[in-house]
Amino acid sequence: MAGPLLFLPLRCSLLPFLTTALIILSLAGPVWATEDGSRAYLDELVARAKGLHLAETREWQVLLHYRRNLWGGYMSEQDAPGFFLAPDGKVNPQAELAATLTQFFSEEFVGRSKQPAQCAFVARYSFLKERLAFDPERLRPLVCERFNNWLADFDVEGISLIFPTGFMNNPSSMFGHTFLRIDQKGQTPHTRILASTINFAAELPPDAGIEYPIKGIFGMYPGYFSTIPYYLKVQEYRDIENRDIWEYRLNLTPDQVRRLLMHAWEMGNATFDYYFFGENCSYHILALLDAADPAFRLADQFPYYTIPADSMRAVLAQQGLVRAVVYRPSRLTLVKRKRELLAAEEDRWLRRLVDKPDEARGKAFSAVPQARRVLLLDTASDYLLLRSEGAGAKDNHWRDRNKGILSSRAELKVPSEEMVFTPFVERPDVGHDTRRASVGAGWRNSRAFEEVTFRGAYHDLLDPEPGYTPDAQIEIVNLALRHYHHASQARIERFSLLNMVSLSPMDSLFHAPSWKLGVGMNTVRHRGCELCANGNVTGGAGAAVESHWLGREVWFAFADVEGNYSRAYEERHRIGGGGFIGMLADLTARWKLMATGTYLRYALGEKSDDFRWMVGSRYTLSQNWALRLEYNHRAHDNDVLFSVQGFF
Amino acid sequence: MKKMLLLSVAVLFGMQAGLAMAANPDTGPGCGLGKLAWGDYKNQKDIAPQVLMATTNGTFGSQTFGISSGTSGCTNDGKVMSEHKATMFAELNFENLSQEMAQGQGEHLASMATLMGVPAQHQGEFFALAQEHYTSLVKAGEASPVAMVKALNATIATHPVLAQAIVK
Repeated sequence: MAGPLLFLPLRCSLLPFLTTALIILSLAGPVWATEDGSRAYLDELVARAKGLHLAETREWQVLLHYRRNLWGGYMSEQDAPGFFLAPDGKVNPQAELAATLTQFFSEEFVGRSKQPAQCAFVARYSFLKERLAFDPERLRPLVCERFNNWLADFDVEGISLIFPTGFMNNPSSMFGHTFLRIDQKGQTPHTRILASTINFAAELPPDAGIEYPIKGIFGMYPGYFSTIPYYLKVQEYRDIENRDIWEYRLNLTPDQVRRLLMHAWEMGNATFDYYFFGENCSYHILALLDAADPAFRLADQFPYYTIPADSMRAVLAQQGLVRAVVYRPSRLTLVKRKRELLAAEEDRWLRRLVDKPDEARGKAFSAVPQARRVLLLDTASDYLLLRSEGAGAKDNHWRDRNKGILSSRAELKVPSEEMVFTPFVERPDVGHDTRRASVGAGWRNSRAFEEVTFRGAYHDLLDPEPGYTPDAQIEIVNLALRHYHHASQARIERFSLLNMVSLSPMDSLFHAPSWKLGVGMNTVRHRGCELCANGNVTGGAGAAVESHWLGREVWFAFADVEGNYSRAYEERHRIGGGGFIGMLADLTARWKLMATGTYLRYALGEKSDDFRWMVGSRYTLSQNWALRLEYNHRAHDNDVLFSVQGFF
Repeated sequence: MKKMLLLSVAVLFGMQAGLAMAANPDTGPGCGLGKLAWGDYKNQKDIAPQVLMATTNGTFGSQTFGISSGTSGCTNDGKVMSEHKATMFAELNFENLSQEMAQGQGEHLASMATLMGVPAQHQGEFFALAQEHYTSLVKAGEASPVAMVKALNATIATHPVLAQAIVK
């Protein structure tokens, strides 16, 4: 979800851990450097905190990232030892609170940020000071210059939650990403890129290789918070990965903003094991919002896994928390929208310009009205920048051509018009939820059945499209159970671990390939085996084009390879290749149709071939409800299914 | 297991890009962050197509922009130091800045103007000036971001209104 982080090679990565270890060692001994008076006051504070049950308050739980475990005890999700001031702080909120109070009397440096406890843990200090009304005479407040400078530099006006949409072609950002932006006073929409962000991401060692996804899923990489400038994030998502960005202005009070930033400062001492599905970027951003106001209880809603779009819907569900939504188109969207403004003749000019920038200096081009020349040159430059992002540093002819276009453009000596673009995809929060279940019934070869399905995540080609990357499918853990009347038997009909399809319609300027990948099982009727379990792995590469005859149609063709494993086959397997073609059509805003056909010839294992086709149709009832009618045909095997699907 | 394997294959390219990045040392003078980032971008693109370029994060991670991480290069507790803000911005946004200078408007150009102390009511003049001097400014920018900021300042100095208006 977050893009992976990499260590800079010149920095010693072990250093923070060593220092934390040293701090822990120094803490192991008593820190009673304080005088008797302080000792007495500390004892009093600890007793009062106990009396007030402060360690059990929601605020303390949030600040220390405690969660109840299965046995009713506490466990903090935070994993850096220096974050806790008590040796058993990770599991003991009471001991941690006492140790924190103790450390507030000392100027000794603690935590990875190497500051006195009052400054390293400003939010804890603020919370306890308020609840216990610290006596400044007996517990001397320290001036936290580093924190004060840091806070002042934000010059904060408000906070936005930023959502770069999903990006199919990078496994770590398929589902999108979320982070916070700290909006500065006096910034305008034109200077908003100068804002700071608060971002949570995993840090990978430079030699991460084949083990990356496994480690990423099982929390074996450390995750950290950082304040990367927003212009770099915009560059990363909008320019390089071509992801649209949605900015949600949050309605937070100055107190909430201050609490959020204080806790963010504390996060400089924190490390969280990064779990790709669970404790990921979106989860920790929700936890940070909970620190702004513990009553939000946002992170609590995601005990198992956090899909960024779901986390956006959770924030939107908080009454009045979102004030305004701003859309920032990706460079790709920009080029596509600008091209829509061009007449056919102008589009030909665009293609000539991106091929030969010198055409801009020719007589023919100067005959084009100036305002249109501006638009053409600007679109050409956007397109060339987009292409040059994918090319190398040396001999990047896209960059060279862009230079040519830009010098012609500068010579026109008129400013470009400011344009507003509408997105191709609706806001992510209006999309369906990511889990899906369905009930249905149908016939397979004139045997009636009922079927129930469950899908862990996320979206398939026929699901309601608002809020999701168009023509893209990611299905994780999809299970279908069937009960056949005739045999009176219930069985696993289909199971898919992973099923991905990415269709990229091509045109005269864009030529990205389409691809697909699937791992799972289904049941086949083959050589006398009526309902045989069949494991399959399949992959393909192809091309897609788009038309607008009825509404919007996408046509695609793939070269596929497939491997099957089943007792229905001789030698129990068969491996082969073939073709896959199909079309997707938006008939109305609610009604979508898909038809595909596959022909495969298996050359290894059981030599055989397979011809199958399907027609599927979806009708959207509401954001989270849809109807499906599907027909699947395979040699001597016909299957009709009608189902109602709910998303949750 | 199969799923893991497939995912692994899918990310392999990305990881190779990471390796290439990691091998790019910061060898020059100055606070170095921008230079490193810029250099890495280019190297990355030699190997990985843009589709696997999720690693901008990687170039500037918790080390440079880490909250309360102390002083490193041109950042202080994760924030770019004031005196480096304009140069850093010019360096890290060179492509977008060049484009917007040629176009005589845009958010990167407006942000650059703000960082250089051009008051809002005079930004239109700054944009026109940048467009007029596009060729020499970009040439300076290709040499170094410091040179570009210098050239911008020198250009402003020749402009009677802007030279007076600038907030130092």
